[in-house]
Amino acid sequence: MTAIGFAWRSLVRQPARAALGILGVAAVGALLFDMLLLSRGLIVSMQDLLDRGGWDVRVSAGELPSSGLRIPNAIDTADAISRLPSVQAALVVRTASVQIDRASGQPIRASFQGVATRSTDPAGSRLRAPWTILRGRDAEGPNEVVIDEKLASESRLEPGGTITMRASCVADLEALPAIRLTVVGVAEFPFQSTNESTTGGTFDALQAACGGNVGSEADLMLVTSKGDADGTAAAIRALRPEIRAATNTEVVGRLQQTGFTYFRQISSVLTTVTVSFAVLLITVLLTVSVNQRLGEIAALRALGFSRMRVVKDVLSESALIVGIGGLLSLPLGLLLASGLDRILKGMPGIPVALHFFVFERQTLAVHVALLVATAIIAALYPMRIVSTLPIAATLRDEVIG
Amino acid sequence: MTSVPSSRSSVSGPQSPVSAGPTTGRLIVDARNVSRVFAMPAGPVTAVRDVTLQVNNGDHIAVRGPSGCGKSTLLHMLGCVEPQTSGTLLFDGQDISRLSDARRSLLRLTQIGFVFQRFFLLPMLTALENVELPMSEAGVAKQARRTRAIELLEYVGLAPRADHRPSQLSGGEMQRVAIARALANGPRLLLADEPTGELDEATGAQIAALLDRVNRAGTALVIVTHDPALADRAGRVLMMRDGQIESQRVR
Repeated sequence: MTAIGFAWRSLVRQPARAALGILGVAAVGALLFDMLLLSRGLIVSMQDLLDRGGWDVRVSAGELPSSGLRIPNAIDTADAISRLPSVQAALVVRTASVQIDRASGQPIRASFQGVATRSTDPAGSRLRAPWTILRGRDAEGPNEVVIDEKLASESRLEPGGTITMRASCVADLEALPAIRLTVVGVAEFPFQSTNESTTGGTFDALQAACGGNVGSEADLMLVTSKGDADGTAAAIRALRPEIRAATNTEVVGRLQQTGFTYFRQISSVLTTVTVSFAVLLITVLLTVSVNQRLGEIAALRALGFSRMRVVKDVLSESALIVGIGGLLSLPLGLLLASGLDRILKGMPGIPVALHFFVFERQTLAVHVALLVATAIIAALYPMRIVSTLPIAATLRDEVIG
Repeated sequence: MTSVPSSRSSVSGPQSPVSAGPTTGRLIVDARNVSRVFAMPAGPVTAVRDVTLQVNNGDHIAVRGPSGCGKSTLLHMLGCVEPQTSGTLLFDGQDISRLSDARRSLLRLTQIGFVFQRFFLLPMLTALENVELPMSEAGVAKQARRTRAIELLEYVGLAPRADHRPSQLSGGEMQRVAIARALANGPRLLLADEPTGELDEATGAQIAALLDRVNRAGTALVIVTHDPALADRAGRVLMMRDGQIESQRVR
């Protein structure tokens, strides 16, 4: 009988204890799996979000695109950038707060993203705005707008309808006249959070809504390179040293050093705690199991079982508990991650398309490696008990006992 | 006389370096002035003192004496599970104290059988699997060990109960399975520590008869017992007191 077969029989011998150990490992393993998904989830998800739409360089006035500072002379700057040899297109993005009137009830607060594309490359003009059209078409004229699904649902609006919008572009106390825009499409805005509404249109539409007060300032500029994002970012920095240009990877790197670092730290601490808990749980279970069977183990040693063999039996038992529990931890962890993701995405300002828990093969490999290490470390103490077991003294004690 | 099923044809495990010695010789164990001293908090306790004993092929030896006189310790020393503090113990001419733990394990696996007072059958295995276990450890092929385990269970009269777990067997039946297990790899020496200690008189007599049969088939037998009836069946009875052999009676 192999060590694994023997360990299996030992586990089945006390099904309640085995089930307790396996379920404990499954629960702890699920938490461990989630912490590993969380440790890189935001980074992977943010990178994916930034890469959507094909814009690979982001230009802003501050260190991060969300710094609140605005790029002056944005249209002229976009023109200059679009003429760089490595650039395919540049997109100016300016956001304003708007109120959308409703026939009945309170007006809806939303944001309006006005965009303008600059390109000297024919392929660049085909690039999409930073949203995805779900129904209808994209806004092209100064009187056209696309709205998000939430707004469409709340206002019962579909392509072909009209909205009345009051913009607040420079200060909240502005009293700008309302303008009427035609809804030409329903779109998904990747950086929109669950509790806000967003509309989008051309830069000219935004200027009209803002009564011409926007000037040429932009919150952000998105640039598509012809393949060399790093070189393009460097060229933009050389062209306009006063503004910040960063590739998507660099933006994610900066986020990692700032806001995301909390999640990584929390994840690291909880990973350590869960692994320690799993080690303690299995060590206790195996130690109790071994201590209950000391007489049998001493008898097996007397019958000629080698020290290595009884050590292997204990290690195999640990491997079985962790292996079965670890397998169960995967679906349990994914289920838990889905629930936690929903809760965390409910926080204000979190983009709908951003995920805190993202599955990667690498995460699974780390999870398996940690579980293997757990099985080995947890078995060390009980393995030491059986390997140093004094055979004769144990047999004597069993008889006296 | 029914012979013990031979393990020669079925045991094909790794050859023991220690069993490569003079296995055909008469002398199995040669203990010369062996002592065992335990270090206790209150001071050293001598469990076995200067015992000299030879066990030959086919010997039937009973060791008697009051509780704590060192009978079990001597048995454990003969079985290579208790190292001597002083003296020399040779098994098949080889000094046990010079063997590594792995070699001593292999020696026990292939040359020595143990029968315990408390049986120590594994409760999660059937009787058949319990008997197969030492052969499995010795590397015997599955079919060969299954065949031999069935033969051994037939030999001890328990073939119909091969698929029963220890919890489904009586004390006497468990001890018979334990004897079959001890014989699995065809040992030259069978050591039994109070083999009838947990059994009633009638069942104890059955076990004693079975051990006699094993001995008559050629396996040397050393039994530690308080039971005078069991001891009286032996060819040599050693009386121990205070760790020493006080007297020896040869039948």
